[in-house]
Amino acid sequence: MIRESPLEILVKEKEQVNPAILLAEEFLRRDAGDLLSAEDISRAEDILQSSSLEIKILEGQLENFAGLPATPSLIIPVGF
Amino acid sequence: MCLGSESAGLLTGQFRDRLLKSIEYLKFKARNHNAVAAHDYVSSVISEQEKYGVYRDLFPQEWATSQASFYQKGYYIKYSERTNELFHLINNKCFPLLDYLADDRENEFENFYIPPLNMDLCCEDIYFENLNTSYAAGLIFYFPDDAWEYLNERFRLSKRHFPKINPDPHPGVWKEKGCIFGDLLRFIDHSTDNPWLDSIYCQMSDWYGFNLETIQELSREYGAACKLLEGLKPLDALIEAHPKKMLSALIDFWNNGNLPDETTLSPTRTGRVS
Repeated sequence: MIRESPLEILVKEKEQVNPAILLAEEFLRRDAGDLLSAEDISRAEDILQSSSLEIKILEGQLENFAGLPATPSLIIPVGF
Repeated sequence: MCLGSESAGLLTGQFRDRLLKSIEYLKFKARNHNAVAAHDYVSSVISEQEKYGVYRDLFPQEWATSQASFYQKGYYIKYSERTNELFHLINNKCFPLLDYLADDRENEFENFYIPPLNMDLCCEDIYFENLNTSYAAGLIFYFPDDAWEYLNERFRLSKRHFPKINPDPHPGVWKEKGCIFGDLLRFIDHSTDNPWLDSIYCQMSDWYGFNLETIQELSREYGAACKLLEGLKPLDALIEAHPKKMLSALIDFWNNGNLPDETTLSPTRTGRVS
């Protein structure tokens, strides 16, 4: 079995906009005087949880990625 | 573009709120969809919305007529003017939410503590001359030397005029509800079961979550605490008028659990007795 490179793992990751961004966009368009229902708040709390988890995972991945040793490229960029 | 509080103050009503809302939206877009910023924003919206719910349920009339902005930040800058208005309403109509806070505009109210209304007997210096007479008298069971010294100065009474005080109170003392001596001793002993009277500064404060149930419960408890304090005032007057008789009755209650009779606690009858 061929081990995937960190870059390949990253490329394969599901790509999505953080759900908090979509919810923030939604909230920003509504009037603050129209109070959220209990269901809305519950949905928002669920989204906050998953958003927070996603941020933590991404931060961890970034840290791991930055900690990888440098490897020579097969292609020499133009100018080098 | 920056709409400071001074400029915002010149605008009024719905136009100002629409303008502030648009600016908030543009600021959000300009942050280029930063997930952390979005997360913080959603958290703050939920926090404010929960407080608006408390405002509407607790003060429906004020909510209906309020002109305070949902978007302009108030004195406590993490919250809108509308939420700041709620804090003041609670402070003025329910219990002292703001009175004892350090003047920190960054303060958060997601969780808050309440200031004790009782003396901190374990750490605080006791200035007897500043205490209510009944409280000072009740301290003969806890700080006898200081308390008798004060009572001697004030009423020319010393402990040799009274029976010896038992080190521990009679168990019945804590069981008697509705007796003014029992109320006084529970108050001094910090065992009223009322958070406003039992908490002290030197212990870790209890933190309360900002929600409707907690605000209502703390309001009820605060009312009960004030009622208890008010109820002790007649006892001050009785002790001042008849110190020896009242102290004897108080010591008898502590030692033997004997309730004071009606004559002792009646101002007019007591007047005749002495």
